[in-house]
Amino acid sequence: MGADFFIGLFLATLIVALFTSRLYRLIFWYSMNSLVLGILALLVGKALDDKAMLITGVATLLIKAVGIPYLLKHFSEKFQFVRQIQPQIKTHYAIILIPAILVFTFYLSEPITHMMQGNTNYVAISISSLFLSLLLMMEHRDVAPKIIGFLSMENALFLLGITATEGMPMLVELGIFFDLLMAIVVMNLLFYKEETQS
Amino acid sequence: MMLALLVLPAAVMFIVSFLKYRKAKFLLPISSFAILLPIVKLFMLSKPYAILGSYLVADKLDTYVLLVSSLVGIGVTLALLTLGKHVRVTDKAYRRFYRFFAIFWVGLIFSILANHMGIYWIGLELATLSTVYMIKTNHTLAAHKEAWNYMIVGAIAISLVLFGIILMYASAKPILGERAMQFDLLLQHAKEIPSPFLFEMGFAIAMVGMFVKMGFFPMNLWLANIERASFYPVAALFSGILESAVIIGFFRFSRIAMQINYVHLFGFVFVYMLLTIFIVAFLIFRAKDFMRLFSLSGVEHMALIALFWVSGGTFAALLHFGAHAFLKPALFLSTGVLESNGKYRIAGALKGYSGKKGTLFWVLVSLFLLAIISLPPSPMFFSELYGFGAMIQTAKSSNHILAMIAAILLLLILLSVIFYRFVAIYQSMKYEGKAEEKKVYASELLALILFAVCLFVLLLPATFDYLRSIV
Repeated sequence: MGADFFIGLFLATLIVALFTSRLYRLIFWYSMNSLVLGILALLVGKALDDKAMLITGVATLLIKAVGIPYLLKHFSEKFQFVRQIQPQIKTHYAIILIPAILVFTFYLSEPITHMMQGNTNYVAISISSLFLSLLLMMEHRDVAPKIIGFLSMENALFLLGITATEGMPMLVELGIFFDLLMAIVVMNLLFYKEETQS
Repeated sequence: MMLALLVLPAAVMFIVSFLKYRKAKFLLPISSFAILLPIVKLFMLSKPYAILGSYLVADKLDTYVLLVSSLVGIGVTLALLTLGKHVRVTDKAYRRFYRFFAIFWVGLIFSILANHMGIYWIGLELATLSTVYMIKTNHTLAAHKEAWNYMIVGAIAISLVLFGIILMYASAKPILGERAMQFDLLLQHAKEIPSPFLFEMGFAIAMVGMFVKMGFFPMNLWLANIERASFYPVAALFSGILESAVIIGFFRFSRIAMQINYVHLFGFVFVYMLLTIFIVAFLIFRAKDFMRLFSLSGVEHMALIALFWVSGGTFAALLHFGAHAFLKPALFLSTGVLESNGKYRIAGALKGYSGKKGTLFWVLVSLFLLAIISLPPSPMFFSELYGFGAMIQTAKSSNHILAMIAAILLLLILLSVIFYRFVAIYQSMKYEGKAEEKKVYASELLALILFAVCLFVLLLPATFDYLRSIV
């Protein structure tokens, strides 16, 4: 029951992020999305008595819900990002498009979800989150929202890992976290160069 | 112990890249050369050799790929010695290039030697992220834009690969538990996987991610634009090393998929590659500069490797892979000289070389250009001969022999378009345009000689025997 509520919240935070036109608010919704994901990992880990998932849940809360949003806000101040980020897809079209994507993904993932154990709707939601994150990347021209789209996509994949496989091996989860941090370092360098060029 | 030896040169390179002493600049290429030593040692050990439990296991296939990559790495390092003489590059950018080159090597070693889907992905992601900054070493707006482009499209591609891996893992977890991540176990138990459709879905999604990374349909131009915007050694690294890490993943995943449903795998890869080569042939026909030309030709060859592999021509695929890994970086590195004076000018690019070094340079570049379109005795001539032979064998045993033969004929027509374009370009380089004096430096010539020797070694009967024994 708790997991159902949080998985709904996970999707809701992503949908709200798609309509956001301010950068800090978008970072906030990414942080909320990661917070819900971390709580979900803790809940599923507790239900399965999987210590590795509990550790990754805590790491998600610390790194994705707190660390990365803080760094993104810091970059935004340091490199003076444009904070007015109007999505290219107008709201009235997005209102039609997002439910269409959700219905389409549920239909698309039906043959896969039939083969899985546990709550199959979770898998469909993680796949639809993946498509919505791609939409987030597509509907913005600025780099910062595109980065948040990429990070949300990573969250959707993490959710798929939790729900479809009842957790990936610990080593892989930690490796993904390491790569994420490396991505942040590279992004910092790219932003830095952008500043020195202009 | 072996893992420490493999990673040590890269770790030294990483640390030295932070030192600002003038002499430290010379230590960077030395540490890069040292990468070859542990790889040669690993190559000589009996296989399979467990480097890190069941996570990293060296077999004949991955040590061959690693050896080829390390030789390409040495060639690139040699060319980097004179990078500053052809393009403007600051000391800081040069050191930073090596810093990311070290991280790139670590990622590459892990992804090539991985016997674990998760570790393979982590290594590939690390190698991809480290190349982002290498693109940016060129301080131009185009390079900056393409670095971001690579970051975003590369991230999407790699996410698709992870998505596919999760589905494949989910399909095999009921029988193998957490060990469902291991390539060797998946191959052994492929026929027992309870939901083969789920595995095939995962495989198809992961492959689309890998194909996007290699510039296949529908993303044919993104890699070419990135290589155009970055310095030529980066393009050589992409074509000679990074694509090796991607293609070895394709080899490993497709071997498992072959056990599950060969007809599905073959149909999927065949149609995808035919579409890719169809578009690439026309893009090559319209290419107006060396970088895009070589980059698009790289896409064509990677598509051919994938086709030969799934057609059962594993020997042909591995020979083609080796030949491409040496030829393409050699051509990319030559563009440093070919374009340093005339920029994008193709006409007369092979004129204006004087002295022994100049003559040797244009002779080698001519040979490489003709070898890339498979003129004998290029190793690509033999690989295509065996590869198309394997495809015809597959066609004979299929239920749609006429359709298959028609598809192979279409493929040959497309390849002849590419052949025609390359010959026209070679003639333009040699016989048209004005002769402008161009300077060739010893280190870049050494790199080309190294690649020529490697190509010659590929043609030896002993190498053929070795390649046949890999799979």
